[in-house]
Amino acid sequence: MRTPVLSLRGVRKSFGDAEIIRGVDIDILPGERHALIGPNGAGKSTLFHLVSGNHRPTSGSIYLAGRRIDGQSPQAINRHGLARSFQITNVFPGLSVFENLRLAVMRPHRLQYSISRWIDGDRPVREETERLMDLVRLTARVHALAGELAYSEQRSLEIGMTLASNPQVILLDEPMAGMSREETAFTANLIREVTRGRALLIVEHDMDVVFSLAERVSVLVYGEVIATGTPDDIRADAAVREAYLGAEVPV
Amino acid sequence: MIRSTRHAGFAVAALVLLLVALPHLLSQGLLNAAIQMLIAALFACAYNLLCGQAGMLSFGHAAYFGVGAFATIHAMKALGGAGLVPTPFLPLAGAAAGLAVGAAAGWFATKRSGTYFAMITLAIAELLHSLAPHLKGWFGGESGVSAMRMPAFGISFGSTTHVYYLTMAWVLACLAALYLYTRTPLGRLTLGLRENSHRLAFLGYDVHRVSVLVFALSAMFSGIAGGLQVVNNEAANYVLFDMQLSAAPVLHAFIGGVKVFLGPAIGAALMTFFGYAVSDLTQSWLLYQGILFVLIMMFMPDGLAGLWFRCAAWRARVGTLRAMPGLLAAISAALLLAAGTVFTVELLQRLFAQDYRALARAAVTQPWPSVHLFGRDWLPGAVETWLVPLALLAAAGVLAVIAKRMVRTMSYATEPRGVTASTTPLAQAGSST
Repeated sequence: MRTPVLSLRGVRKSFGDAEIIRGVDIDILPGERHALIGPNGAGKSTLFHLVSGNHRPTSGSIYLAGRRIDGQSPQAINRHGLARSFQITNVFPGLSVFENLRLAVMRPHRLQYSISRWIDGDRPVREETERLMDLVRLTARVHALAGELAYSEQRSLEIGMTLASNPQVILLDEPMAGMSREETAFTANLIREVTRGRALLIVEHDMDVVFSLAERVSVLVYGEVIATGTPDDIRADAAVREAYLGAEVPV
Repeated sequence: MIRSTRHAGFAVAALVLLLVALPHLLSQGLLNAAIQMLIAALFACAYNLLCGQAGMLSFGHAAYFGVGAFATIHAMKALGGAGLVPTPFLPLAGAAAGLAVGAAAGWFATKRSGTYFAMITLAIAELLHSLAPHLKGWFGGESGVSAMRMPAFGISFGSTTHVYYLTMAWVLACLAALYLYTRTPLGRLTLGLRENSHRLAFLGYDVHRVSVLVFALSAMFSGIAGGLQVVNNEAANYVLFDMQLSAAPVLHAFIGGVKVFLGPAIGAALMTFFGYAVSDLTQSWLLYQGILFVLIMMFMPDGLAGLWFRCAAWRARVGTLRAMPGLLAAISAALLLAAGTVFTVELLQRLFAQDYRALARAAVTQPWPSVHLFGRDWLPGAVETWLVPLALLAAAGVLAVIAKRMVRTMSYATEPRGVTASTTPLAQAGSST
């Protein structure tokens, strides 16, 4: 078996008395598309927050490419090669599409705190920004303000920003939420295309998307992973059917 | 886009030429006012780096202006009055002190954001304000510190004109630096800080570090403004840390418009001149300043510069000729409103004045005596007296409604297709490729 690029070991998270994540073990293999599904309130977004550094786990450990990252800051985790999008669109609304992507591109080009050079004259940054803009098909909207884009365009922009640091692992939190059929199909294709060669962990409610996109699926219920396997395994799994359909399954 | 770039270039060149020619056009008193306007403009732009560009609302920028001022006065006094550096370079001391104190204060303040950030900046300024009178060695106690400008490079720096040119050179250089800053990577990050600092962290940036850098740079330019003030006044005392001085750049920046690079400078120059011109004419000038601020915040939150660009965009869309009646109606409404307000305020101010109340009490049985205002006598008991402001305000209201209707019908008639926000070279938030 390949060494996982991201692995969670016995991860727990409590907010006060409420234990939201109750000991999660997940392994994400290099280059695989892995979906995380589960009913509302199962802790999917919380798990993303733990992995990306927004929250610190109460106990347990998280490894990214063999390096322990739990408890590190978001910017440190990003630099180690993990990037994420958010459930609620999280872009720079008052800045243009180009500017949004360029802010994302500047960091990996080590241009963060410089005042000794012109940003407009930096060719590598401009070319990389244009490449990403092309990749997520927003070139026609280059001057539009991010806050004025259509919803699906904002999600594409987010995916583009997530890619800018050339991460090994990408977390996408419900990238298709609130999209129409066509937009969902477009975005699913986009995700398949842009995550080639990277590990993807995606939270999604649309089962058609999950089963067509993911190579493996983990099911999170009440803060625990009750099943992990191929889409076919998951479809056939009795515990998953119970969690989703409320069917009484004799033990 | 290219046309507007060229227009802005011409406007800036004309402004610089005008500034260079000013000493030949103005009296000494007005030239002094011009120095104050330039200093206020730099202070407001330095403040806006933090407030408008980075989105951090500081309520205590007098601290860095004051620290810069005191550092400069000590540099001026150093070496037995000869000065640490030649007179033209004295504001460098203000820059260094502003940068250092700004970095330290910013490290604490930017640990929090929003209201908490504002409260910390306020507390730091108040701390200096209450501490300064007790630290005689640094701040000279209640009386302050004074020094003398020394001649340098064959220039005496004794006349207002010399001081004016020195101030102008510093302010123009600093404004140019502040503008060029917006074209650097850190300048772009500053906008990201305002728009969404949370996202910046997930792009791999150290948000606290960026915030401290921006805070320190803003404090540095504020320190230069303080230094220029001292070079002009040859004195500094703890009143420099007063709350009122912290409020000035906030008011100036928002009146001018925080989303446009030169907006705060325009607001600062106008309001400083307004204070200079009006404070001699009326006791109520602070009230007028307050009314102006409230009206601008309520009806044009993007400030005077924003109003200008919106008018220009509208004119470009509907054509100059067709825009004229609407614009004229709006301007007349504004003038009538101003006239009505001024009349009411001045009349009330005289009626509530102590000496008038004494006169009124003395004339128990007779009607109240008349008030002399605008070259006429007005009887407070007469209906005509109150009809004047009422008529002015009513006419203003009617004209305002007409102007609004004209603008609206015309805008609907020429509905634009996919017009994006106007990007001028002065609009720092503008996109660029």
